Amino acid sequence: MANGYTQRPSASAILQVILLVVALAVPLFGGAYWIHVGAILWYYAILASSWTLLAGFAGQFSFAHLMFAALGGYASALIVLHMGTAYFPLAIFIGLVLAIVVGALIGFMVLRLSGPYLALFTLAISEVFRMILIAEEQVTRGSLGLQVPRFFKGDSDVPYYYLGLALLIGSMLLMGFLLHTRVGLFLRAIREDEGATQASGVNTTHYKILVFVVTSGIAAIAGIYYAHFIGILTPNMMILPEMGIVIAMAVIGGIESLPGAVVGAAIVYLLSELLRDYGELRFVLLGLALVLVQRFARNGLLPLIDRIGRRPAAVSSRLSAPGGTSEKPHGN
Amino acid sequence: MATDSSGPFFTARRLSKHFGGIQAVAEMSLDIAPGEIVGLIGPNGSGKTTTISMLCGALYSDGGQILLDGSDLTGMAAHFFARHGVARTFQVPRLFRRMSVLENLIVPALSDMRAKRTEAERKAGEILEFLRLAHLGQDYARSLSGGQQKLLELGRALMLDPKLILLDEPFAGVHPRLLNQIIEHIKALNERGMTIVLVDHNLDAIRSVVRRAAVMAQGRKIADGSVDDVLRDPAVIHAYTGSRKANGRAAS
Amino acid sequence: MSYFSLLTVNGLVIGLIYALTAAGLTLIFSVLRVVNFGHGAFYMVGGYVSYYAIRSLGLPPVGGVVVAMAALFLFGVLFEILVMRPVYTDEVERKDEYAIIVTFGMTILLSNLAIVVFGPFSKSPPPFMAGTLILGPIILPYDRLIAALVAIALLCATTWFLARTTLGQALDAVSQNRESAAVIGINPRRMYTIAFGLGSALAGGAGALIAPIFALSPSMGDLPVVQAFIIIVIGGMGSVGGSIAGGILLGLAQSWGVGYLPDPNRALAYTQAFGAVLLIVTLLFRPTGLFGRVHLRLE
Repeated sequence: MANGYTQRPSASAILQVILLVVALAVPLFGGAYWIHVGAILWYYAILASSWTLLAGFAGQFSFAHLMFAALGGYASALIVLHMGTAYFPLAIFIGLVLAIVVGALIGFMVLRLSGPYLALFTLAISEVFRMILIAEEQVTRGSLGLQVPRFFKGDSDVPYYYLGLALLIGSMLLMGFLLHTRVGLFLRAIREDEGATQASGVNTTHYKILVFVVTSGIAAIAGIYYAHFIGILTPNMMILPEMGIVIAMAVIGGIESLPGAVVGAAIVYLLSELLRDYGELRFVLLGLALVLVQRFARNGLLPLIDRIGRRPAAVSSRLSAPGGTSEKPHGN
Repeated sequence: MATDSSGPFFTARRLSKHFGGIQAVAEMSLDIAPGEIVGLIGPNGSGKTTTISMLCGALYSDGGQILLDGSDLTGMAAHFFARHGVARTFQVPRLFRRMSVLENLIVPALSDMRAKRTEAERKAGEILEFLRLAHLGQDYARSLSGGQQKLLELGRALMLDPKLILLDEPFAGVHPRLLNQIIEHIKALNERGMTIVLVDHNLDAIRSVVRRAAVMAQGRKIADGSVDDVLRDPAVIHAYTGSRKANGRAAS
Repeated sequence: MSYFSLLTVNGLVIGLIYALTAAGLTLIFSVLRVVNFGHGAFYMVGGYVSYYAIRSLGLPPVGGVVVAMAALFLFGVLFEILVMRPVYTDEVERKDEYAIIVTFGMTILLSNLAIVVFGPFSKSPPPFMAGTLILGPIILPYDRLIAALVAIALLCATTWFLARTTLGQALDAVSQNRESAAVIGINPRRMYTIAFGLGSALAGGAGALIAPIFALSPSMGDLPVVQAFIIIVIGGMGSVGGSIAGGILLGLAQSWGVGYLPDPNRALAYTQAFGAVLLIVTLLFRPTGLFGRVHLRLE
């Protein structure tokens, strides 16, 4: 039975494949600068895409996403610092588990909240955590920065680049798989109307907590990667403007599209690197872009690209929720 | 979609609900035999929708009991009611607007973890045929007309394979042409053995579908019996004429 | 106990400024049902407008406040018309998300624009009045006193406006039930625009009042806006009176906290976190705030 999903590749799917090939090839042709930039881009891409799952698909507009990255990063860093680099696996494991447990806790706490209440609540929790990081400088070195042992010996960023890319692909596959199953269907239904979803027999509590658990775990992985790549951690990794950048990446790329978030991350981060000489003007443009995209291209740029390449019967891939355009071949 | 005839027996005993200082429903009791179709009528504000919400678990009642086919559903969450066979449609359809018609239908089916997707899609196809909406499967729910949305709402309830369906104002805001179609669908469902409770203000439409009606006024049940008897009951007439006159003729 | 009275008086002054900011935020929320994440940026812009109005037009400092409020009113109106429209014309499926993103985007835009135009370093506008009031145990610089008095005046004016004038009551009507308000002839859209303008004006006024006391910088709105969020949640998202009470209480609590906690580094961080903790606790137990009379959604 025709299920309406991918019959032939859409323009955006082709674009994604091209981008992947380019990404794999960069370290072969690009200089050390671009390899470094790429390695950082993967960090943002993982955060933007996992936030998209949480906010775009499941409708949980959370400001606490970077808190999980910081939690994972600091936990892993502190364990390795105190117990030695032989304990990397344990450190990573604990960082991940800690973030997941906190994620479940927060998922539970926000069950009754929605919209701006949820946003404010997660913002408050995130700020409290950041204050703790600053205040407890005996442990965290606060704003001075925590020196963190790196994963790989040597100065080259190439192993980090490929590690980051692998983590990005892995998390995308995980999230894509989830969205492919009934879990994805339920999350989107919850976003549309939680009461109606409950009336349809779905235990929405389970799924809301699940999406927090999964996305906080992925964010923690990003944070751990970042910590042991950059080698320094400060509470500034989770200030509100940073969260704003992640949100902007997701929105510009397409808040209901995982690959869209990655493209959005690339656009935002690469442009901000290219325009480095213009200082803060970059972010003025970012803010403007955010407002304009929301106002005129609500589902981001990737679905727009889809529309350009659209053929009558084509629909976008399963990783994107239908929502970019309202195509109604037989509708009223 | 057929329910087996020795199946459901639904009892609501002394349900109550107050909001703030207002007693919306008091001591509401209702017994329904399997395969019965009952109208729940009454003037505006009489507590009908609140009662429906309690009967499907969307609202916790302040007291009383709800039993379905031997299972005690009292105090359970809404999704639990749905999983145990109580389906409900909303007055204003609450569809998953940015999901396709097909996706809207398979969500309830897949809430049963053992159900497979292909099975759910097949069943959805059947329901779409039954509702004469088969050509709209891929469309987004938000692009449907008002009447089509009401039908889809009904379809979603049917996907639960329910023992009891609660219809909240199925005739409200429906184009007269579609009204007959909905009446036909409801009759067809009941003929296949589905137990149905329906709430509506359109007394003509209700009379063409049900034989038994329970009347509520000011949160209480004031009559329960055959439609004709009930509409002749002076207490019922008083309840209606004391407030706004209901749609359709009062019984003469 | 003069240390205590010093802290208390300072806490009151800060609290009144918080209250003013929060009142603006509450007004926007209760009428439009939108949390204005750009409120801190409006506060900051108000400070800068006031500064330049005083310098280039030679106005007395209080005149700067008036100009700031007028400018922010206009800006708020423009922003509402150009950007916020889709929220209530049903073009947008997820209104909350749209509003958060768009107002947050405005913050990013304005904060960074301020850095580009004004530079990242702080500026100090001239004080409202030089000198210090010494009254018994109380030592209060005049500009703080004036800021407090103006804030009180503005808060009283706002409350009076909402309760006594036709326009204010119209705003109130729309905040309670927009459909009913439309039925009795009030144009909800115009009310949204006015409410957004007024709310922005209050934020701008607060920024203009605080600038001589604590200096101007592009990031000056970041922490106050978080405090404002905390206040409106605790005070109840629809209640101006609650915002006022909450603002004053929070200002006092922060002042005492910084003054009395032993470790200065921790004190500052945790005092700022205190409000956030209050917000968390409040939302856990009363998702609509302590004095809330506006339910975002009843489901």
